[in-house]
Amino acid sequence: MEDRQVEVLLEQADVQMRLAQWRSAIDLLRRALAIDPDHARAHAQLALALLGAKRLAGAEIEARLALALESGSSLAHYAAAAVLRAQRRLDEAWEHCEIALTADSADADVYVLGAGIRDLRGEVSEARALLVRALELEPAHAGALTRFARLELDAHRPEEAARYAEEALRARPDDLDAHVVAGLVDLVRGDVAGAEGHARFALTQDATDHDALGLWASIKARRSWTLGLWWRLNAWVSLRSEGGQVALLIGSFVVVQIAIILATAADLPLLEQVLSWAWLGLCAYTWVAPELWKRMLQRDLGTVVLDPDF
Amino acid sequence: MTYAIADEPIETSRRHLVVNPSAPLLAEMLCGTWLSLPWFAWNAIAMGSPTRRKEIALCALSLVVTAVLAAAVLALREGGVIESRTMLRCALLGIITWKLAMAQAIYTLQSRTFHVYEYYGGPVRPASYVLSTGWLLRDVVIGLSDDPLWGIIVSGVSGLLGGGA
Repeated sequence: MEDRQVEVLLEQADVQMRLAQWRSAIDLLRRALAIDPDHARAHAQLALALLGAKRLAGAEIEARLALALESGSSLAHYAAAAVLRAQRRLDEAWEHCEIALTADSADADVYVLGAGIRDLRGEVSEARALLVRALELEPAHAGALTRFARLELDAHRPEEAARYAEEALRARPDDLDAHVVAGLVDLVRGDVAGAEGHARFALTQDATDHDALGLWASIKARRSWTLGLWWRLNAWVSLRSEGGQVALLIGSFVVVQIAIILATAADLPLLEQVLSWAWLGLCAYTWVAPELWKRMLQRDLGTVVLDPDF
Repeated sequence: MTYAIADEPIETSRRHLVVNPSAPLLAEMLCGTWLSLPWFAWNAIAMGSPTRRKEIALCALSLVVTAVLAAAVLALREGGVIESRTMLRCALLGIITWKLAMAQAIYTLQSRTFHVYEYYGGPVRPASYVLSTGWLLRDVVIGLSDDPLWGIIVSGVSGLLGGGA
């Protein structure tokens, strides 16, 4: 009786996760785990739901619990790989992805995840090979087509990227990621209005989606030079891991301060002043810009009409 | 019966006093360590952070190492090893970097719980009053003792950069 109840809850959670309803999925999985705390699949699914909700610390713990309970589970390794990829721990992520591929070589999703990891490691041809395999297994896999479109965009081939994005949209017309990548393609080709249409559609599906908001922000950055600068700086910094970001910021601070100290010692008051004011200006700008940015996005998002399913 | 996810804060009676962790981080820069570290620790307790012990331990570590570094700098100054003002400023920059890195580490750790706390609708108090009071009081607190060791330990980034110690 309890097993059946858990299975029903897991199925319901799966539906919610497909709709990107992370909070409902988490609540359903919490209920399933209250009935059976040692259910490996529930832990793995919870890890993926927490990842969707950007709760990486909780997601990592749940993925580890799933692996501890069932070390051979393909889903547990998939979840661990997805969480580690989000944390930019790419070598560990790939190790888990390889195990998931060995355990279940017929799941296109695992190949797409693997392609994402290899791409982040700079191994583009390996990423392509994995995507080709995913499309052999499932020719209309929207995720694989979307990822291919991204690879083509990165390779500065917008026409090829557009072709994959269109195919992805044909496969799943309401796929959020496909709309985001189609928007990015439009943006690269200079079609800001087209990009805005895709971004708006993606945001009606999930107004909290990071990539959709990123696309929206990129469109806004095109229209405002000052905020666009901050957005690009922010995007460049966020490419690093959490530790890397802190090291970069503190490192910059130390370098500027040493330069100021040396300018004083060399009796160059003008240089000292310029450096001090430049640093102060950068601090003020990076403090104020995110607030202005947030307000602008909130104002814009107020005009987005959400899909009734959201 | 329910299942507790490891990153979720526990229920406390002091939730109405929770602030965004960026407030104590800003306090480290504008007001001083005397305000930021106790505030970080208090916020961890008020929020019911599952990592509160680690956060409090990091606060204690930050304080102890700052005291040791400050004592070392002052001893080197006394011993004539640090002679010039440039060398002294570089040594103080080392202490500032340590303080900043620790404040950022505690902030990063606390922010993870804070996001979950906010996600479930936990109340968040505005921190501007505490920050402005702290900014007004900083010279009074730093002036409580003439000992330069005290000044270095309790000063914030702006205080040390401005030669407040």
